Amino acid sequence: MKTEKTNIKAALTIATAALLGGNTVAHAETTAAKEDNSWEFDSAFLFYSETDRVSASEVILNAKKSFEDDEILNLKLTVDALTGASANGAVAQPTVQTFTRPSGNGQYDIAPGDTPLDDTFHDTRVQLNAQWTQAVADNLTASGGVHISKEYDYLSLGVNGNIAMDFDRKNSTVSLGFSHFQDTFTPEGGIPKPFASMLIGDSSAPTWDDEFAKTRLGSDDDKTTTDLLLGFTQVINRRMIMQFNYSYSMVDGYLTDPFKILTIVDDNGIAQDYVYESRPDSRVKQSIYAQSLYHFDTNVLDVSYRYMWDDGEITSHTIDSRFTIPLSDSFSRESYIQPHFRFYQQSAADFYQPFILASEPLPVFASADYRIGEMTAFTIGLKYGLLVNNGHELSFRLEYYRQTPTDAGFDEPGVLKEVDLYPSVDAMIAQVSYSF
Amino acid sequence: MKNNRAVTLTQCQDGHSLNFQAMASACEVIIQSSDQQLAKELGNIIANEVWRIEDKYSRYDQNSVCSDINNSAGQTVSIDEETYLLLNFAEQCYQLSDGLFDITSGVLRKVWRFDGSNKLPTSTQVAKYLSYVGWRKVQFDQQQITFVKGMEIDFGGIGKEYAVDRAIILAKQLTDLPVLVNLGGDLAVTGARLNNAPWQVAIEHPDVDSTEANIERNIKKSSTESGIKSNSPADMIISLKSGALATSGDARRYLLNKGKRYSHVLNAKTGWPIENAPRSITVVAPACIQAGILATMALLQGDNAEQFLSEQEIKFWSRR
Amino acid sequence: MNTGHKIKLALIVPLIATASGCTSLGVEPWERDLLAKDAMSLTSSPIDSALDDHIYFSKEASSGGKGFGGGGCGCN
Repeated sequence: MKTEKTNIKAALTIATAALLGGNTVAHAETTAAKEDNSWEFDSAFLFYSETDRVSASEVILNAKKSFEDDEILNLKLTVDALTGASANGAVAQPTVQTFTRPSGNGQYDIAPGDTPLDDTFHDTRVQLNAQWTQAVADNLTASGGVHISKEYDYLSLGVNGNIAMDFDRKNSTVSLGFSHFQDTFTPEGGIPKPFASMLIGDSSAPTWDDEFAKTRLGSDDDKTTTDLLLGFTQVINRRMIMQFNYSYSMVDGYLTDPFKILTIVDDNGIAQDYVYESRPDSRVKQSIYAQSLYHFDTNVLDVSYRYMWDDGEITSHTIDSRFTIPLSDSFSRESYIQPHFRFYQQSAADFYQPFILASEPLPVFASADYRIGEMTAFTIGLKYGLLVNNGHELSFRLEYYRQTPTDAGFDEPGVLKEVDLYPSVDAMIAQVSYSF
Repeated sequence: MKNNRAVTLTQCQDGHSLNFQAMASACEVIIQSSDQQLAKELGNIIANEVWRIEDKYSRYDQNSVCSDINNSAGQTVSIDEETYLLLNFAEQCYQLSDGLFDITSGVLRKVWRFDGSNKLPTSTQVAKYLSYVGWRKVQFDQQQITFVKGMEIDFGGIGKEYAVDRAIILAKQLTDLPVLVNLGGDLAVTGARLNNAPWQVAIEHPDVDSTEANIERNIKKSSTESGIKSNSPADMIISLKSGALATSGDARRYLLNKGKRYSHVLNAKTGWPIENAPRSITVVAPACIQAGILATMALLQGDNAEQFLSEQEIKFWSRR
Repeated sequence: MNTGHKIKLALIVPLIATASGCTSLGVEPWERDLLAKDAMSLTSSPIDSALDDHIYFSKEASSGGKGFGGGGCGCN
């Protein structure tokens, strides 16, 4: 090509000035919408509610600012509030049961046949995240961030870093990330001694505090979590992109749930005692993850699969899929619906047991928390989004989440055959989001 | 063949829009002002200017200066300053495009009819009309123009964009308020809207978006998890604060023969269509005529259209 | 790591190797029209993901995979 190629723009400018008599502007200023260096905000309100159990509200406000040279600052504020009852780990009985609240202040009764639920949980949490991303070389992007989360009895501080390298016209990307969290737990009532019996009686009695203190180890404990994430993204063709991740996570410290107990039952299934649970003080989790996005004529399919395994014999499969369907302009606005389906299945941890048999020796670790037991769960939902006011997006999401704990192969002695040891949990999720 | 020459006034959210027909296109002038009188006056001034340019330079109008020149068969014709400046500009474009952009190539339309059919002309037919193409055979100066009988000049490639730029000049002379002039997709603005807000212009979603940041962003989006929001799917919205946009190309005008698509953009040197040109290119530049020429020059590069513009560091959007 | 896990990793690794080895994969910069859409982003709604991750982290024994699992709150 001609050597004066680079002067075409300049030469044309001169020619234009000659034609129009110098009444031209110095330059044209355009940006594609949403690219001006101003803030972009995303806000959302979520309501989560289980039938007869926990309800939670969560508000997120995310602010993103792009600077020159593709530098991005992301700030996020999350506030959530939790109320309601969750299972305390004890099994249902044909008689009334009485339990002591985690704080030690007061008791609560459970009706015969009911799954014991503790409703003392009211907590509000505030979390702040800050993330900075920038290009450090031609095909190299780095990102780093901090996290702080505080609730009444829990403090979490974390940092993360990530580096990504692009290849082949940016069709392939390899990324490596790490994160580290330092958490401190100061539960009301302190840390219970593993397998100590739950003290049940009169909280206002003068001897109560001393007796209660005997069941406690201390007032607080720590936990650290370190994650490593290795990722590979590949553009397959104009319509398809895939991602593969491997992650390795080490958790160390206090992993026990201080609010959960196990029932010690005799050979007839009658409760003899309630003891506080105890979990190992370390856990190593690994997972492999694959995701694929495919663009049909107008619709987009997003499918992902995750396989997770840990050193406590928990393995899980997660299939998550979303199908985005753009709707023809209604009221000359762009909108879409997005059905969602998620399937989850996990196997029980090796220290999971729904109760302890009095006739057997106490295990080293045990927990009856159904969340580490065997279960399947599915989520089905629908999201509707539309553009309003100059390109802002408003969306609504409604989902149904059902968890079905299943029998992990434990014999059910005596009366336990007549109660529901593995109750299902149903939840509704409703969310409104607005981006501006 | 004059179109209905009326200017209609409509009130919009924070201003007025004037609409009229000119140069076989729907034309629109938007002024961010609630002053109806001012809007009417602006509409009339601009419409009259656009019609003036159409009457003067349209090759379809037998009374136009363009037709006068074309019918003058080998004789010398006097021209005024405006025509001289336009011819000069066309000369610059001829040189900058290495001869690919040539306003004497209009005569080739006699053999090339881009109606979506598979009727290609023969080499003999093309060669015959090619002998009447060639800017070098045109002689002109500030007062007159002469060229060989059988040749024609066609201002079609620059007329509309020139009209946009003239309209902006007149708008600025009349008012300081923000004005946007859009003649069938070729448009320009006098400046940003009030409070330094940009004009939001929609173009059909492009296949290629050259704004460096955008290409990087689009690539980043698909390779990392930064989750950057992108353009809306159906139309792409561009925020324009100053300058102009012009689009070259037409998806409907082509020939399909033996599976090969011949676009309507002709190589003035060979007489045959440029191969593998994008279906359309939209370019941003300070003036509309600049944007228009760059878009056309890019199309003339065929395969390398996008590369040609990227190398010049020009902002563009293309559809293939 | 038991055999089950080894088999699963063995399936994923060649898949990645094949994917990166095929030079016919990928697109030119100007072919990214569809890929640039929001719906084609690997995390099309970071807020939805954050909210969902929090729910599933609290209710199930698995977390992360796509991003960091992390600590972050006292919910599990």
